[in-house]
Amino acid sequence: MTMLVHKIRTFLSVYYAHMLEYRAEIVFWMLAGLFPFILMGVWMEAGAKGQFALSAVDLGRYFVAVFIVRQMSVVWVIWEFERQVVEGRLSPFLLQPIDPVWRHVAGHLCERLARAPFFVALLTAFFLFQPDLFWLPSFQNGIAALAAMVCAFVLRFLIQYTFAMLCFWTERASAVQEFWFLLYLFLSGLIAPLDVFPEEMRDFALWTPFPYLVNFPARLLVGLETDLLRSFMILGAWMVVFFVLNRLLWRLGLRQYSGMGA
Amino acid sequence: MIEVKGLSKHFNVPIKVSGLSATIKHFFNRQYRRVDAVKALDFSIKEGEFVGFLGANGAGKTTTLKMLTGLIHPSGGSVNINGHTPFDRKKEFLQDITLVMGQKQQLIWDLPAMDSLRINAAVYEISKGDFDERIEELASMLELKDKLTSPVRKLSLGERMKAEFMAALLHRPRLLFLDEPTLGLDINAQSAVRRFLKDYNTRHNATVILTSHYMADITTLCERVLIIHEGGLVHDGVLSELIENFAPFRQVKVELGSDVDKETLSKYGEVESLNGAEARLTVRRDELTEVVSKLLSEQNVLDLTVTDPPIEEIIGRVFQKGSVS
Amino acid sequence: MKYLRLLRLFLSTSIQAEMEYRLNFVIAALSSIGGLAGSLFGLSLFYRGNDVLGGWVWDEALVVLGFFTLLQGVSASFLSANLSKIVGYVQMGTLDFVLLKPVDSQFWLSTRAFSLWGIPDLLLGTFIIGLAGTRLGLGPLDYLSALFPLLCGLVTLYSLWFMLGATSIWFVKVYNVTEVLRKTLEAGRFPITAFPAAWRIFFTYVVPVAFMTSVPAETLLGRGSAPWLLGAIVLAATLSVIARSFWHFALRFYTSASS
Repeated sequence: MTMLVHKIRTFLSVYYAHMLEYRAEIVFWMLAGLFPFILMGVWMEAGAKGQFALSAVDLGRYFVAVFIVRQMSVVWVIWEFERQVVEGRLSPFLLQPIDPVWRHVAGHLCERLARAPFFVALLTAFFLFQPDLFWLPSFQNGIAALAAMVCAFVLRFLIQYTFAMLCFWTERASAVQEFWFLLYLFLSGLIAPLDVFPEEMRDFALWTPFPYLVNFPARLLVGLETDLLRSFMILGAWMVVFFVLNRLLWRLGLRQYSGMGA
Repeated sequence: MIEVKGLSKHFNVPIKVSGLSATIKHFFNRQYRRVDAVKALDFSIKEGEFVGFLGANGAGKTTTLKMLTGLIHPSGGSVNINGHTPFDRKKEFLQDITLVMGQKQQLIWDLPAMDSLRINAAVYEISKGDFDERIEELASMLELKDKLTSPVRKLSLGERMKAEFMAALLHRPRLLFLDEPTLGLDINAQSAVRRFLKDYNTRHNATVILTSHYMADITTLCERVLIIHEGGLVHDGVLSELIENFAPFRQVKVELGSDVDKETLSKYGEVESLNGAEARLTVRRDELTEVVSKLLSEQNVLDLTVTDPPIEEIIGRVFQKGSVS
Repeated sequence: MKYLRLLRLFLSTSIQAEMEYRLNFVIAALSSIGGLAGSLFGLSLFYRGNDVLGGWVWDEALVVLGFFTLLQGVSASFLSANLSKIVGYVQMGTLDFVLLKPVDSQFWLSTRAFSLWGIPDLLLGTFIIGLAGTRLGLGPLDYLSALFPLLCGLVTLYSLWFMLGATSIWFVKVYNVTEVLRKTLEAGRFPITAFPAAWRIFFTYVVPVAFMTSVPAETLLGRGSAPWLLGAIVLAATLSVIARSFWHFALRFYTSASS
């Protein structure tokens, strides 16, 4: 037990130091993640002039929430993993008595920590520029949103790490990830809240994993009405699916990797 | 310690083409060919041995090494290391081994080596006391102490390799697999690494298996060499045996008191070169004593030396011939 | 002439290199089609609550989306493929070889690679513009008139991108900055008038996305106004001159990787 705590502490402290070395990149990644603010502009303008399911202010807040959720759930494991496989650097890690995934997990968690100050600064600046959009979620909503964001991160990581397993079979598996990203882009609620979707489209999307990566936590954060139980159950189910798939592909993948000459 | 029986491995590799039209054709219909990287190897290695794997590029050294570490699954045959099958990668097995590859690092590039070492200490569950003690020991053996706190990217290639060794040996593995550990290092760094390996080997009675392109690595470190040629084992034994087997001739260099003609010398052996009073002869090993005594008694010899042909030449001949006989 | 020959050679070697990754190519094509379908869906959402988006009816907004898709194709095929590599050249010290060749270094760095990935977007963008144009009853002359502002937009984009790439002489990890530029370009999906005032100012004067999609679209629709067109020309001309001198300025600081 103490060994485990020691392991976790060592990993987190070293990878935090590692992420601090990438401060500049992290700021740029964050700026590249400003996409929701572009859409916010169009949607607020459209919301003010037309008849939509949400008011202009709610639309504005929704996209702020989307930005927050996205920042909290950034995942890049597939690119890191792909490099390791292509450059053959995975091999030494496979010979260590710990699953290589924990290095990635530690890196991702610490990156969030390193990002936090810039993230807070950016949000503060935004609310100074648009004070009308400022709001604080209620306590219950805040807790639920936090839980949803953690789950969103875990699910996103599981999905991407599962695709990363394809690196064992194809040279650039990240292309698959990019294709998946399209579905994510249009079904997750990133380009528009699911409220403004056509009804059949929305009902369909709610069965896929995508809305739970963005729309669901963002709605909780803004305080829009949400079916908590049902949402968390679907979210949990997808987590199980991808976890099982991931472990299966990992096992098959290692066999394939050895076939390529490791 | 290591038992290898009938170990073999084959790969299917896509056939590469060049030219635009061929590339397009290849795009739709990829052709493969089977490559037998390793063919039915048999050998065993005892604890504490220092074994060198020799072979030309693509002879199957690295593939064999990767099967021994359990990174790749053999197509046929078996490997048994201390009762473990490497491919299972059991925790107890992994605690006991390490792999160092000359040009692939596991250290985190942007951080001091110390941070990566701490990670490895946690991974291998090394206590704080042991950690400090081992760092102390390894760093002094490698003369690296003051470099451990500067980022890895700022180290020289030699220092980086030493730091890699520290990371790889922190858990005191009893079995070391080294794939070209001195690749690209300058002469000083090479010999430092060699001294360190020898030291580690004797200090901890560790078994070391090494592949290298540098003959000096092999001659100074390995009592025993395995030579792999086109996936098969062509020699297994001590280095000197190799010389006996593959070099049945010796070179005799003589300096005589006066000029001599070729014919006179021909009766002692094959004349390789003759320059006035200096000559080089090739003599069969079993006739050597007789020839030398005849030379000494019949000619006015000022100086005489007997040498082996250089080891590179012998190895080169092995690779060309591909077999012992 | 020499430059044309080089261009052809660069093109064919790049295509050969890309063909190695066949699955990726199929995925790229699928991605483009899927991306366009998603974009259409996203755009249609605005028309569920209103007839116009920033004063543009559906078919007109489609033209903007078409230009945006075209732009993405150009980015993927030419800009990203080449200019992202400058960083690598600087880091590895291989820029030395480029500078020593008897070819203009800016030309070499801007045309050396060509990526097949952008082709589906190029085709789809053209298709969408044609489709919307036909539905709006546009003639050949309209298309022709849009070519010039489009060219200006491309030159503007190229110059911005090239300048960012050139900063890699000083800053090693400039890749992330080009990513920021790329993401900002996403604003080009929508007509500039669909944004609130503050956004409009930003996308006209700070990152001039308006000149890359909205202005060519306006011209195509026969609504081009002289000030905007003039702006596009001046912007393209100024930025390309600045980009070129900036590159030569940057080269003075090139130290050539020593280790």
